[in-house]
Amino acid sequence: MKRKMLGAEEKRAYWLLVLPGVLIYWAVVAFPTIFSLVLSLTNYNGGPLFGAKLDFVGFTHYARMFKDQYFWISLKNNIYIMLISLFGQIPLGFLFAYVIHRRLVKQRDFFQTMIYLPSVISTIVIGILWQSFFSPYGPFTELMQKFIPNWENELFYDPKKAILPVLFVILWMYTGTYLIIFLANLQKIDPALIEAARIDGASEWQVLTRIILPCLSGVILTTAILAISGSLKSFDLVFAMTAGNPARRTSVLSLYMYDNAFRGAPNYPRANAISVFMVVLSLILIWIVRLTESRFGGRE
Amino acid sequence: MKRTLLFVLSALLVLSLFAPAIYAEEKITLTVLNYFDLTAPNASREITEIWEEFERRNPHITIIREDLFNEPFHHKTEAYAAAGTLPDVIFMWPGGRSTTLHTKRLVKDLTPFIDEVRHEFSEAALMPQAGGYLAMIPTTLTASHVMYVNKGLLDSLGLEVPKTYEELVAMVPVLKNAGLDVVLMGAQDDWVIQSCLFSMIVGRLVGDEKMDEIIAGKAKFTDPEFMRALEFYKQLYDDGVLHRKIMNTTYGEVNGLFASGRAPFLIDGDWKTGNFLTDPDTGEALIPVDQQPNFIITVFPAIPGEINSNSTSTVAGVGYGMNANIPAGSAKEKAAWELIKWLNGKEAQTLRLETGGTTPSRVDVTSDNLEPLVQERLAFYGKVDVGTYVLDNVLAGDVYGPLNVGLQEIGLGLATPAEVAQRVQDAFDQWFAAQ
Repeated sequence: MKRKMLGAEEKRAYWLLVLPGVLIYWAVVAFPTIFSLVLSLTNYNGGPLFGAKLDFVGFTHYARMFKDQYFWISLKNNIYIMLISLFGQIPLGFLFAYVIHRRLVKQRDFFQTMIYLPSVISTIVIGILWQSFFSPYGPFTELMQKFIPNWENELFYDPKKAILPVLFVILWMYTGTYLIIFLANLQKIDPALIEAARIDGASEWQVLTRIILPCLSGVILTTAILAISGSLKSFDLVFAMTAGNPARRTSVLSLYMYDNAFRGAPNYPRANAISVFMVVLSLILIWIVRLTESRFGGRE
Repeated sequence: MKRTLLFVLSALLVLSLFAPAIYAEEKITLTVLNYFDLTAPNASREITEIWEEFERRNPHITIIREDLFNEPFHHKTEAYAAAGTLPDVIFMWPGGRSTTLHTKRLVKDLTPFIDEVRHEFSEAALMPQAGGYLAMIPTTLTASHVMYVNKGLLDSLGLEVPKTYEELVAMVPVLKNAGLDVVLMGAQDDWVIQSCLFSMIVGRLVGDEKMDEIIAGKAKFTDPEFMRALEFYKQLYDDGVLHRKIMNTTYGEVNGLFASGRAPFLIDGDWKTGNFLTDPDTGEALIPVDQQPNFIITVFPAIPGEINSNSTSTVAGVGYGMNANIPAGSAKEKAAWELIKWLNGKEAQTLRLETGGTTPSRVDVTSDNLEPLVQERLAFYGKVDVGTYVLDNVLAGDVYGPLNVGLQEIGLGLATPAEVAQRVQDAFDQWFAAQ
């Protein structure tokens, strides 16, 4: 009898603790996602949502989205951002963290602060600063012309190169975040383990590949997920630096969605179709990363 | 007698207790979405002398104002319109970027309100707008294309203000040898080329009559007239008059570039004048008063084969509308109209004339306190022969969207005029079929 009461009490406590979280999750994540999917299949185009008559038009908006060249340009740019995040920010962040943690450099606090500093500045401020820097009339052009007279800064208005300054700034801005994550986790590895390996004759490279990297495989997975989700939602920096131009050649999916929803004539079903596509894409990418980690990752 | 006196005194006492409640006006709160460049010189004067002054004169009305500028303003407007949460008073265009507000009748018809003060306005300012009714009262008349000329810079190079396109092209090598650009535009945002340059080109080479036919579906964007406009636009790049870097020059960056003599010409709207004037807070100006006589405001030189000469693209200017959801006859409606009337009043338009050089929509506005560049702007309207359409004011968003991007693509060599014309026509056909 007492056990039964204890079970009921545990159940009550369980629901009491879990329910607020579940409700909030449903309200701010799950419901909007599902609702977005529903709207993407309708012809809803503004006005009151609840009580409105919605005609279902199937996957028409998805078909139109896939036919639009600006969708593919935006997707391509998102892939570039994802690649620079996965293969630029994470390795660099790890490298800097490793160098600082293993005391391979003096003035550790200085380097740590300098690398992390961009992460605490407003993205809009950073975007405007770098836009001014890379502008055809900006300091970068003047600097280059000191070395190569008559050098023409085509970085932003050559459609093939226009995304390069954005990628550079993304690399510069977010590497510090990964540095902090890796540094915190490196400090969790028992120094006795590394010391024992060194006594047994392990080289720095062997310490890195046989001890540190396997110990951090879970963290690498987490940072990869952060990098993927972060790159898919990149918006503010691109908006401040280029506004997606010239000719939408630096647009990304979130900006493309925003354009459809709020620029010119609003196209809410298309904007919802884009957001659903982004959710599906991020789930697929995260699944791939998890699969890779389970195949090749070590055990923490 | 005593009793009567006592009764009268008692009645007066009771009345004096209730009198404030009887006469006090109902407290009203108005929300306003305002288009406002807070970085412009004189911005603080508008806040104190227009907005705060209104609240001082109308203590029963409280204003909650949201100031936005450029693209963020338009995005917020669309978001409010979609959510059905428009503010009580909203800054609007007579069409174009505010088409949703007009065509979905989200703002009231102000015709019944304006009747009492109609005689105070130019009749041209009170024409029906994109929704077929008077959705807002324009505070100004606007030219979306003007060519600002740094005459001092031209003089120093021994050059004259060009009268024809050929004369402008002949200047290109001289200016390039001097290390200067030819024409500046802050065209990173894609509306700028269409609104401030291409609309004028269409006005010169296509004309409003042909545009009316295109809009009615009786002619096409792929017709030779419109094609010629696109091809001439492309020629501007081929001839070196325009440079691709205009598409990486932000709308704010271009002000300083022009004022510092980076090029002798700047193409923009007439509203840009306000950015060059003296800021009363600092006493500084991008173009100081003593240098302003070196600058003239004119239009693009004569284009070969033009059917309209010396023309610019004009629009009955921007102004304020009233949310359609405010109950008719309510105290809030009365307060909103008071505010709109004030924003179009003599004081407000005089201030805007002095600080931004806007052309007043009222007939009774003048000022002796005008900087030379503002006087030049006012004189500009007398120098122009024809006013033609601003394209994003007469085309739907679905149509001018592809045109805006297409114009950038032509400039970058990513699309031909024929491809852009076809794309715009396809967008128009799709939009037209949906109407």
